[in-house]
Formats: sequence, C-alpha cells, structure tokens
Amino acid sequence: MILDYILRRLGLLFFMVLLLSIFTFSLSYLFPGDVLSNLSGVSNTNFAQSALLEEKYRVNSNYFIQYIAFLDRILQGDWGVSFASGDSVFKHILDLIPATLELSIYALLISVVVGVPLGILASAYYKRWPDKLISSTAIVGYSMPIFWLALLLIMVFSLKLGWFPMSGRVSLLYEIPASTGFILVDILLADFPYNGMAMLDALHHLTLPTIVLAMYPTTVLVRFTRESMLKVMDQSYIKTARAKGLNRGQLIIHHALRNALLPVIKQIGLQFSTLITLAMITEVIFSWPGIGRWLIDSIYQRDYPAIQGGLMAVSLFIIIATIMAELTYTLLDPLSRNQAHGKV
Amino acid sequence: MAKFNLFSEDANKSPLARLWRKFKNNHPALVGLWVFIAFCILAATAPFLAPYGVNQQHSDALLLPPSWNEMGDVRFILGTDDLGRDVLSRLMNGATYTFGLSVVAALITTMIGVLVGTFAGISKGLRASFLNHLLDVTLSIPSLLLAIIIIAILGPGLMNTVWAIILALLPQFIHSIRNLIVDELGKDYVTAYRLDGASNWHILSRGIFPNVYEYIVVIFTMALSTAILDIAALGFLKLGAQPPTTEWGAILAENLGLIYLAPWTVALPGVLLFLAVLSTNLVGDGLRKVLQARKAD
Repeated sequence: MILDYILRRLGLLFFMVLLLSIFTFSLSYLFPGDVLSNLSGVSNTNFAQSALLEEKYRVNSNYFIQYIAFLDRILQGDWGVSFASGDSVFKHILDLIPATLELSIYALLISVVVGVPLGILASAYYKRWPDKLISSTAIVGYSMPIFWLALLLIMVFSLKLGWFPMSGRVSLLYEIPASTGFILVDILLADFPYNGMAMLDALHHLTLPTIVLAMYPTTVLVRFTRESMLKVMDQSYIKTARAKGLNRGQLIIHHALRNALLPVIKQIGLQFSTLITLAMITEVIFSWPGIGRWLIDSIYQRDYPAIQGGLMAVSLFIIIATIMAELTYTLLDPLSRNQAHGKV
Repeated sequence: MAKFNLFSEDANKSPLARLWRKFKNNHPALVGLWVFIAFCILAATAPFLAPYGVNQQHSDALLLPPSWNEMGDVRFILGTDDLGRDVLSRLMNGATYTFGLSVVAALITTMIGVLVGTFAGISKGLRASFLNHLLDVTLSIPSLLLAIIIIAILGPGLMNTVWAIILALLPQFIHSIRNLIVDELGKDYVTAYRLDGASNWHILSRGIFPNVYEYIVVIFTMALSTAILDIAALGFLKLGAQPPTTEWGAILAENLGLIYLAPWTVALPGVLLFLAVLSTNLVGDGLRKVLQARKAD
C-alpha cells in the first residue's frame, strides 16, 4: 500500500524531471542566437573547433539524438560553459547553491518557529483581540512587496541606525575558506583566532536578508495554520470532547493540534519553492552571492547556457523538495494515501 | 449532521443581496473595496487627473521633499525626483501600468483559465491524467520564476512581462477552476440533472456556473494580487517595464540610487504598491469569508 504510493510518487518525479529536461533542452532553440553556442557556451569558434563541437553536440542529427546526447552530458556534469565567465556552468552552480540554500533554510526555520505557534494562538483566541491582532498583521505582511520591505529595513536599520550591514555574507576582513559553502558551517570548520568574531559578523550579515525572506512564508503559515485549526475545531469530535468537560487547553493540545498540523506540514514543504523564488529578489537587493543573483545577472548578460543551467538546478531542487514534502505528509497521514491520482 | 433552517423573513433575499449584506458588515473588506475601486478609477483616468506630465521636468525644483516638509513646495505635493519630475504625477500614472495592466492580465488569465479548467474538470481518463500531470509540473514552479523564464526567452519589456505573467498565472488558475468543477460535478443536484437527460453543456451553463462564479471572483482576486506583485517585482529587477515608464516597480528601481538623498522617491511607490495589493487581498479574503458564512446559514 505505502510502497505502491511511493512508487507512484517516484514515477511522477521521473515524469516531471523528464519534462523539465525536455523543456531545458528546447530552450537552446527558443533562445535567440546560434543553437550550437547556446548549447555549449562557446562562441567565436574557428572552423576546426566548431566541427569538433558539432560532433560532440550532434547538432546535425535529429532532435531525438541531440536530446539523448544532451541528457548524457547533463548526467556527466558537463553543463556547458558560461558566456560571461568562460567557466563551467556546473561548477558555478555548485559554488553558488549552498549560499541560497543556507538563506532559504534559515528563513524557513524562522517562519515555522514563528508562524505556526502564532497561527495556533490566533485560532485559540478566535475573534478576540489576539486573533484580530495576529490576523491583521499577517494580512499586512502578506501584502507587502518583498523588495519594498527589504528597502525599508535597509533604510531604517542600515542607513539610519547602522545596526546591520546591507550587503554580502561576511566582512571582507575575514577570509573564510569555502569547504561546504554554508558560511556558518565554514566558519566553525575554519581554524583561526578570530572565529567568534567572524561568526558574529556573519550572523549580522544574515539578519536582514533572513527577516525579509521569512516574512512571506511566515504570514502564509500563520493564515494557513489558523484556518486549519478553525476547521478542525468545528468538527463533531471536538464538540464531543468538549461535552465530556475538557477545557480549551486540553482540547487544543490533545485533540485538535495533531489533526490540524498535518496539512500544515504539507504547506511547509510547498513554501520551499516560493522561498527559492523570493530568495532571488532578496539576493539581488542584499548582494548575496547565491544562485538567484547569478541567474538574474545571466539574464541581463544574455548568458544563455548559464540561464539554462540555473533554471534546471533551481527547478530540480523545487521539484524534489515538493515531492519530499508530499511523501513526508503521506507517511504521517494514512488518509491521504487513497487519493493519490492527479492531485497536488 | 442535519441542521434546521428557519427562515424568519417572509421574503427571502436573493443570494447576491445576502452576500452584499454580509460583506457590508465586514468593515476592513469594505474599506478594501473602496480603495480597490479608487485604484480602478485612477488607473483609467490618471493622465487627465495628474497635475503635470509624466516626463515634464522642472529644472528649478530638483529633489524637492514632499510638501509637508519644511523644504517642500506646495506645487509638488509629494516632491520631485532627481530630474525635477513631479512624483505625484508619476505615481498616479503608474497606477495605469502596475494596477491596470495587472487587472487586464488577471482578466485574460480568468478567461483562458475558466475555459481550460472546465475542460480539465469534465474530461476523464488518459486526457485528464495527462493534463493533471502537466499541471503538477508547472504548479511546483512558482509564478515569478516561470515569468522570469518566459522573460528570458522573450526579452525584457513591459508587454512581454504581461504575457509572461498571464502564462505564469495560468497553471494555478486552471488547477483551482478544475477543483471547483470536479467538486460541483460530484454533487447530487448534478446527478439529478444528468438523469433528466441534460447534456454536458447544459449542466455547465445552467447548473455549475451559477453556483461557482462567486468562487471564480475569489480566485480572480488572488491572481490579481499575484499579478501586481509580479509585475512590480519584474519591473524592480529591470526585467519588466523599462524607465522612463512609470510602472511602480520600475520607479523604485530607478530611484534606488537616491535612497540616501531622497528616501521619499523610494518609499512612496512602495506604499502605493502595498495599498494596491492589500486592498485586493482584503476584498478577496472578505469575499471568501462571506461565501463561507452564507453557506453555513
């Protein structure tokens, strides 16, 4: 039963990755410019070089053979070279993605730690002042354009008060050797005398981008948790429990919470895709050296191999995260396994 | 559990009248509606209402702060930017681009989305399965990222942004409409209608649409708030509207260098953007709540 479900989800994952790869492949034809240079990232070739490239990318064969050759190269980690830097796109992505993941994971953690309890609190005091306060704050945060929020925070905390820096990951004074790419982990691993200060500095740099990035998912989680709790609290078994004489706290903790938090877990997983997109904007504003900023820069520079590689990496991450979230949800909630067909 | 409904009034009000009466009592939503209507009017008439031209430069008044500041001038209520252009006029005209184009984009999305979503809802078997899997793929990619991909193919520009946003909003929209239709199709009255010999077209036009159109409006408001945020975000990233177009996100990006000297040129477009999205969300939220309440009584 559960194995069947997992297999079906894996089938869906395979199907999605297949479609994604076909789409990425077709981008080299959709983008303006020469197909061969879009695929390889090598422009201005002489005759011998282009003959070699044609052989390697099989551009003279039919589309299917080309696509197979493309898949083969992707699996081997040969994603072409960037127009702008001339370096391997795959290496760029490997270097940059930890920075984005780090920011997104911290933001997701904060939004779960803040958002879910606030949502529960709002539903516990339904239609009283804590609920009104939390709900109205949530809708304000939900409607706030993320770049404007970032600029407001920069205006207040960086320019006026000078509490937090407005760009980068760590002060240039500290030279952190990149081993994992996660700055906090790298600082812990690095062995030099000013470790504590470097850590503090990195945390200072992290504060504003994390708050900005966490704002939207937090408000979504507050609203979602509240709705979910209210829906559960309206059910008959809660009324029965109340009739048996349980007080509000017992009701919420022992009866409502477990059932209400199940859909929230799924929602947390779905937030990851939104986070990665919002991280792109946040990275541009805070000059955070992640994959989002690199991707946007690639669009400015018409760096087609880089755009393709970046899109594929980001989408792959999002698809895998979504499927993982669904699997976790299903493992926790047996009821949802029955309706697996064609649902999101 | 069955509930008893006692109708205390002799004349039952129509569903729409009941909807409006409930909506009126939700004050934040009502305020949201007024602001929303104001934005619609502004978007349609901004060029006539604005005191100055969009690109009219006043070389005697560069970087004037808003008029309530000591340094301000009452001729320029919200101050001027570094080229001496009136901020108020530019912001008013921005409503046409950011808000107006978002409404247009959301309307087009609604039309296509309702068509395709209905089709997905009534189709069965392999076709439905294929459509749903395709939706799964595109749904997991956020609309902004999808829009950025489309911009990467089409190239930056305001009209390309609109197309990109329409295409990016569609999967979510189709999915919601499909779920609505599938839910309605499972209800008893549809079965009864079908037993009477009604065709698919009859069921859709007489049975389902009168029951779901209010929900479609709710989905429309959600699409609209996403569209506003996406148009502005793309403008801000310099992938959408290009200066000197007065799109709010583009104005923000253009004045980013003045954030130290003239913070109002950065703060004010954001305020309008925020108000536009907030009012849309308030109306959508209020409507959803009212629909739930009407169902309950």
